[in-house]
Amino acid sequence: MNLPKLAVDWLDNRLGIKDLIHQNLGGYLLPRNVNIWYTMGSVVLALLGLQFLTGILLLVYYVPDTEKAFSSVTAIMNEVPYGWLFRYLHVVGSNLIIIFMLLHMMSVLFMGSYKRPRELTWVSGFTLLNLGMVFCLTGYLLPWSQLSFWATTVATDAAGAIPFVGEFLVSFLRGGPSVGAATLGRFFALHVMVLPLGLMGLVGFHLFCVRRAGISQPPFGEDYTPRTLGGNFTHEHHPNGVPFHPNYTIKDLAITFFALAVLVAISFYAPWLFIPPDALVPADPFVTPEHIKPEWYFLWAYQTLKIFPSKLLGLAAQGAAMTFIALLPFIDRGPERRPFKRPLFLTCYLLGTLLFVGLSIWGHYS
Amino acid sequence: MSEISETNQQRRTFLGILLGGVVAVLGAVFAWPVFRFLAPREGAGEGDQVRVPKKEIQVGGAHFFSFQGRPAVLLQPRAGDYVALSAVCTHLGCIVKWVNDKGEFLCPCHGGRFSAAGQVLGGPPPKPLETYSLKIEDTDLLVG
Repeated sequence: MNLPKLAVDWLDNRLGIKDLIHQNLGGYLLPRNVNIWYTMGSVVLALLGLQFLTGILLLVYYVPDTEKAFSSVTAIMNEVPYGWLFRYLHVVGSNLIIIFMLLHMMSVLFMGSYKRPRELTWVSGFTLLNLGMVFCLTGYLLPWSQLSFWATTVATDAAGAIPFVGEFLVSFLRGGPSVGAATLGRFFALHVMVLPLGLMGLVGFHLFCVRRAGISQPPFGEDYTPRTLGGNFTHEHHPNGVPFHPNYTIKDLAITFFALAVLVAISFYAPWLFIPPDALVPADPFVTPEHIKPEWYFLWAYQTLKIFPSKLLGLAAQGAAMTFIALLPFIDRGPERRPFKRPLFLTCYLLGTLLFVGLSIWGHYS
Repeated sequence: MSEISETNQQRRTFLGILLGGVVAVLGAVFAWPVFRFLAPREGAGEGDQVRVPKKEIQVGGAHFFSFQGRPAVLLQPRAGDYVALSAVCTHLGCIVKWVNDKGEFLCPCHGGRFSAAGQVLGGPPPKPLETYSLKIEDTDLLVG
């Protein structure tokens, strides 16, 4: 008696799972020239799964109390068996997620995959990137170190530049006039409950959009021609394509394992890349450490605020840039997706990337 | 033809077993740290001593405190005579109460009774309360 076969047959008789599996794996055809940049989303998804797992484990010992948070994190690092491993995986993993989200976004931009009919996929993806950064910001405070405390003080203070409501917004974010127990409470609730629920919902919506619209043909090679779309919904089929499984799943797994290898290598050999010395000192609300800097992915914003003569102008510039990127599919509406046939876009793309990197390096050394 | 398909089948089975083995080893490598992380720490709190000021314990009274992660109690049945006991009933693990009038412990769960020395006086408890070593200093008592 073959028990697994019996179980599958039992389920198949009731839910038609064999058909479902065939539709989404073996029978789901992708373009033949799908490249490794199409795997970035899966890598992010795998890393997010690991963040959930390590986050739940850390919750077992972490105490969200200003008097106990730092010592509980110290105990996780020094006393709990393998506590250091799970914390390093969580810290390094969060940074890798931002890196892979950025790579995902950059590749989608380069290949013009954000264009119609994938506007909603783009907007939900861009929102996910921002949600990821809010995740990092809220998680940053939890160890209640000098770095946590002052980075949060500076980050929440930026909201004060917004006219009329700025002051209220700062105290609302902090739960009081300055960062304290109330801030830790609300950031903890956001980090472990609100944001994970929001993220799961949005990831679900993003994947739904990806599946419904179909995988976009990479805009390379002689066979490629821009799609002409009518007014109705059409799923992008690839009748001469390759099956999702095993052709694409193998590629996905290979890149995911590569990302996991990077994660493990950094966690073992260079975790200090993401845990600077100020993160090893408990928070002291009366002593601001010198040269406090935000995380690398906020350095561009930090430097922008320093360049502009007024904080409001700096915030407005950031807001305008972010809004422009979010609404790009509604602004750039031409059907052409081949990068080298879009010189204006390509120039903006390269200059924008250089500006982001340049501002970040400047912010780091300023 | 059937020979080839049989070879293919054997190869497929072999690769399946190999893959299953690799997955099992990888799973074990990851599961072990998770298990160790969640498992109670060996020897945690063992050997810890607790210092209690003598003035906290009245003659004929009881002072409850935490010792090595478990509830414990200090008694002074007669002036200068101290006893340190576990406050966990040996029946089903409830915490005993000190009944001052009777000079004995009563377990509120199933009515187990213990003397001031921890001996079973009545009810279901199968054995006496655990006794802890006690060092009497000038102003303090050192338990453990």
